[in-house]
Amino acid sequence: MGAFEEPPSPRTLEGRPGKAGTSLETVVSEEAKMRATTRLRSMLEAPGIIVAPGAYDGFSARLVEAAGFRCVYMTGAGTAASHLGQPDLGLATLTEMATNAGHLAACVSLPVIADADTGYGNALNVVRTVREYERAGVAGCHFEDQVAPKKCGHIAGKQVIPASEFAQKIRAAAEYRTDSDFVIIARTDARAVTSLDDAIERGNRYHEAGADVIFVEAPQTEDEIHRVAREIKAPLLMNQVPGGRTPVVKTAELERLGFKIVIHPTVCMEAAIPAMEAALRRLKDTGTDFHDGPTLSPLDIFKKVGFDWWHEIEEKYRS
Amino acid sequence: MKATTRLRELLARGQTLFVPGCYNALSARILEHVGFPAVYMTGYGTSLALLGMPDAGLATMTEMHMNARYIANAVKVPVVADADNGYGNAINVIRTVREYVQTGVAAIHVEDQVIPKRCGHVAGRRVIPIEEAVGKIRAADTARRETDPDFVLIARTDARGAHSGSLDEAVRRARAYLDAGADLAFVEGPTSVEEVTRVCREIKGKVFYNMTGVSPRFTLEEMNQLGIAVAITPGSTFRVTMQAVYDYAVALRDRGPVAERDFNDTFQRHPLANVHGFAGFDQIQRWESEFLPPEELEKYENSVGYRPPGSPKTT
Repeated sequence: MGAFEEPPSPRTLEGRPGKAGTSLETVVSEEAKMRATTRLRSMLEAPGIIVAPGAYDGFSARLVEAAGFRCVYMTGAGTAASHLGQPDLGLATLTEMATNAGHLAACVSLPVIADADTGYGNALNVVRTVREYERAGVAGCHFEDQVAPKKCGHIAGKQVIPASEFAQKIRAAAEYRTDSDFVIIARTDARAVTSLDDAIERGNRYHEAGADVIFVEAPQTEDEIHRVAREIKAPLLMNQVPGGRTPVVKTAELERLGFKIVIHPTVCMEAAIPAMEAALRRLKDTGTDFHDGPTLSPLDIFKKVGFDWWHEIEEKYRS
Repeated sequence: MKATTRLRELLARGQTLFVPGCYNALSARILEHVGFPAVYMTGYGTSLALLGMPDAGLATMTEMHMNARYIANAVKVPVVADADNGYGNAINVIRTVREYVQTGVAAIHVEDQVIPKRCGHVAGRRVIPIEEAVGKIRAADTARRETDPDFVLIARTDARGAHSGSLDEAVRRARAYLDAGADLAFVEGPTSVEEVTRVCREIKGKVFYNMTGVSPRFTLEEMNQLGIAVAITPGSTFRVTMQAVYDYAVALRDRGPVAERDFNDTFQRHPLANVHGFAGFDQIQRWESEFLPPEELEKYENSVGYRPPGSPKTT
């Protein structure tokens, strides 16, 4: 990762803010030179809701940045689906998740909030997870109170561990982060297992244990969302998964209710899958020529992932 | 011959197969070099050598099978590898078996501890219900039949030394795991000769014995008489390394850099003194002669350092 962890020197980048598709070049502001953790923390302290679209690889993370978002979310379901070709059933290891998170953090200048599942074991494993994610350059991550191996938050058959045990895991995470700005988000899956009351109680308890942000997974009605917002005394994260168990609520409304972060984990994946399927169907049906729509040249594609930035370096150091 | 098939041949000989432990590719290569027909990858040693961490379920499946892959790639003899508790439930076990089969190891052992697990000779272990463990072994058996039927599956139970455990419970579980499809039964941590004798007598199937920690030591003849199919000494190799590195570090600290010279003088008389040869530079030179343009070998002329036999001499 090395050189990628530091924002590029502003000297070589001056005067080129926001050039489309070359996300590294957008790193020019003083704010962007701060550590990703510090930036995410200042975003949490500043007014306004943070919208974090879900990326599942470097490419989608680049597109999130190019689209002008201030934060990117690494989806665990997307990581398992795209890297392993497997469903979100706790099959991905800490190593695989941290590696993917590191790829995202290395190719964009946005702070990355990453899915860290259950922390891959007990409090000891949670400590290792925090350290690995910190080293990966991630700005914050969420741990959930499911039994390991976990399941997707919107799939039946989840189980939760006792709140006291999970509170200790959160405490361990908070006390053993090496960067005090690293943002720890506690997620409770209790709504689908016990009750909303329990989920709210757990949320408050996890905040007391040291979580910076609370994430109640899958409230089932707008009324439940209102109760979460009202009754949990902590910064809140809302997960918006179309087709999941939670009603879709507009960002402005979530902000009005007091939510601080909204993640859209599936936004890139659900756009990519039908697009890829359609392109493959066209290739299969037409035999050779599926270029019946607008196409991207290889250079167009490379430009989406920082070609201009690299090309400038190549030219500069040509021997 | 595939490593898995080779291991099955070794097991079919009907004598105790003694498999010393390695913790990385180098230690595996040394064990192979001195003539052992198989090597064992210790999870304890992997966790300590690779991560510098204790064997407390901190190493991920990815890290474990990566180390197994490095070892399997470095030696020709079959590798028996530690796969802890399979890193989750029966579903995870299926993935674990597939990943380990891909590494080229010949066998793994999967145990019935909860997640996260810990070393089988450290107190504070807990086991999952036998029904769940049987499901995991059945899943492992199915996964290896689908990938490589010769892949050897060893089922380990920690019920002897686990919280409120007993030898009776361990024997009951070992039998159930053999019935579920395991090739060998591994009762972790029997504490006396009598217990090992009972394990061998009461389990109708191949017994895998871990000769370490709290368990008694036997000669190879004794293990043959007991009917042990496979015996491992997982930790002694990395402890030998620890001892050697520690003693050398203390010598360097106390006597200064001269200790390096003294070590070097002693090492010259060691069977592995030709480190570059052992590492494989001779092979590299042979490949260079065979596959590179002749002028490429001119780089050896008037160049200082180790010179593989057959490389061009200094002019």
